[in-house]
Amino acid sequence: MPIKFENVSYVYSKGTPMEKQALSCVDLEILEGEFLALVGRTGCGKSTLVQHLNALLNPTQGTVYIDSFVNSADKKKRDKKTHPLRKNVGLVFQFPEYQLFEETVVKDVAFGPKNFGDDKETALAKAREALLRVGLDESFFERSPFELSGGEKRRVAIAGVLAMNPKYLVVDEPTAGLDPAGAKEMMDLFRNVHQSGTTVILVTHDMDLVLAYCSDVIVLDHGKVVKTCKPVDLFGDDVTQYSLQQPMLFDFAKSLGEKGYSFDAATLRDVSSLAKQIAQGRKK
Amino acid sequence: MNNFALGKYVPYDTWVHRLDARVKIIAVIMLMVAVFFPLSTWSMTLLVQGTLLVLISVILACTKTPLHSILTSLRSLWVMVLFLLLIYILVPKAENTLGIAWSVNGWTVYWDSFAEAARIVVRLVMMIMLAMALTSSTKPLDLTYALQWYFTPLKVIRFPAEEFAMTISIALRFIPTLLEDALRVMRAQSSRGVDFAHGRLSKRIVGLTSLIVPLFVSSFIRSEELANAMECRCYDPRGKRTRYRKLRFHWGDLVAFLFAGAVMAGVIVLSALHVDLFALMGIVAL
Repeated sequence: MPIKFENVSYVYSKGTPMEKQALSCVDLEILEGEFLALVGRTGCGKSTLVQHLNALLNPTQGTVYIDSFVNSADKKKRDKKTHPLRKNVGLVFQFPEYQLFEETVVKDVAFGPKNFGDDKETALAKAREALLRVGLDESFFERSPFELSGGEKRRVAIAGVLAMNPKYLVVDEPTAGLDPAGAKEMMDLFRNVHQSGTTVILVTHDMDLVLAYCSDVIVLDHGKVVKTCKPVDLFGDDVTQYSLQQPMLFDFAKSLGEKGYSFDAATLRDVSSLAKQIAQGRKK
Repeated sequence: MNNFALGKYVPYDTWVHRLDARVKIIAVIMLMVAVFFPLSTWSMTLLVQGTLLVLISVILACTKTPLHSILTSLRSLWVMVLFLLLIYILVPKAENTLGIAWSVNGWTVYWDSFAEAARIVVRLVMMIMLAMALTSSTKPLDLTYALQWYFTPLKVIRFPAEEFAMTISIALRFIPTLLEDALRVMRAQSSRGVDFAHGRLSKRIVGLTSLIVPLFVSSFIRSEELANAMECRCYDPRGKRTRYRKLRFHWGDLVAFLFAGAVMAGVIVLSALHVDLFALMGIVAL
């Protein structure tokens, strides 16, 4: 099992008045090759869960297995060497543009590979490749990361994680604060990364993205997993109870349905698939 | 980072928490004076400092600060303690009241040196405990208001008490924010393979740069945003300000004030008059 949570709980500031249970008894599995969405209201424990994947947090109770790595509440069972794990699981935090620090873009991107033992030349080569992948050409390589625009900075930060060639890529709200075109480019990038064989875990509030890009979805609420399913199945239900919203496409299809059109919800993914169904319906 | 014990307010509701911040500040200062007053003999030092240590421990226990958090903050003092011991042992001391520890080739070390080093360490510990009791039981903002209250008379000589208080309260307000920023960047860089705790020195320095540069950048951004937000609310440093929550003086505050004052006065008297209680009681002092 590539990634498995077994009865995982996490409590912040245990034993103080600020004590807060962020995860309670989470059981879940993430398979290789998934494009998984992790959704739920603000403060439901998504970011806490994600940090367990990288052993940045250790569970208060239970065990997380990531390939052969064991992240357990029991200190004796826990693996001590986090380096190989962190190379395998690339974590892109929310607003990653604040983590840039080097003099040039290419050096900053090469920072990760260098930390994981690549020599300077290999690291720089990987950095250039990753930068091209996120859509930043040679003209950016020698510029200072601080003079770039917000969206470009974020690309640099994401390239910094991609350059490590992680087997699992975890991205927390990558489209927050981007303009619509920038958000779409960003998501196309992750689709691309996913198609090249990386398992992608996306934390987001945008249900349109979940519907359009993700293969599976996990809903968290108050630190518990409340639903694991395919995106289309999720939106068949009432999602407002989890403080989520139907994707616009589903709303539209639903009101069309009330007017007499019939749809096969299972193949609804984006505007063109909806258009196709409408066109076919007319032909009939 | 998370066991940043000193300076973190913990919202319990104990009598120490309820004391007026102004009283707490002056009481802490008075107790610190008591801690730092020299006494004539070692036995008296032991007696007085021991009593103070017990007293301060009780106060700290009353704030519900876990005692092991003191040990955590002491861990960083280790180097200093060793250094102190070394200095006191290497530099010969003139007085000899406790006897000779060893004497090699004319290099004589008296037990006094060890006692002196221990006294300094105990004093430091007590100072840290007092500061902890103050900061863990008082909201940073209340502290600032209290400071401002103390500085108000200085307005006569054009001391900018309110601006000063504002500066401090902003600084205090941003400690947790910056700490959070630091933790965030630390997490991000650790998942890029930085190991802040282990590894070669050169690597650790690079790791530290990867933390400090983003922190600088974000604090500059924050300060600019804060300045803009204050401008938008028409902040005028010279304007007269009123306050929603006022500090109030209760009879309990008076008791605490008088008690701390009595402790300080007592120690000063013992020190100034070279009182030796043991001699008075007919016990031969060390």
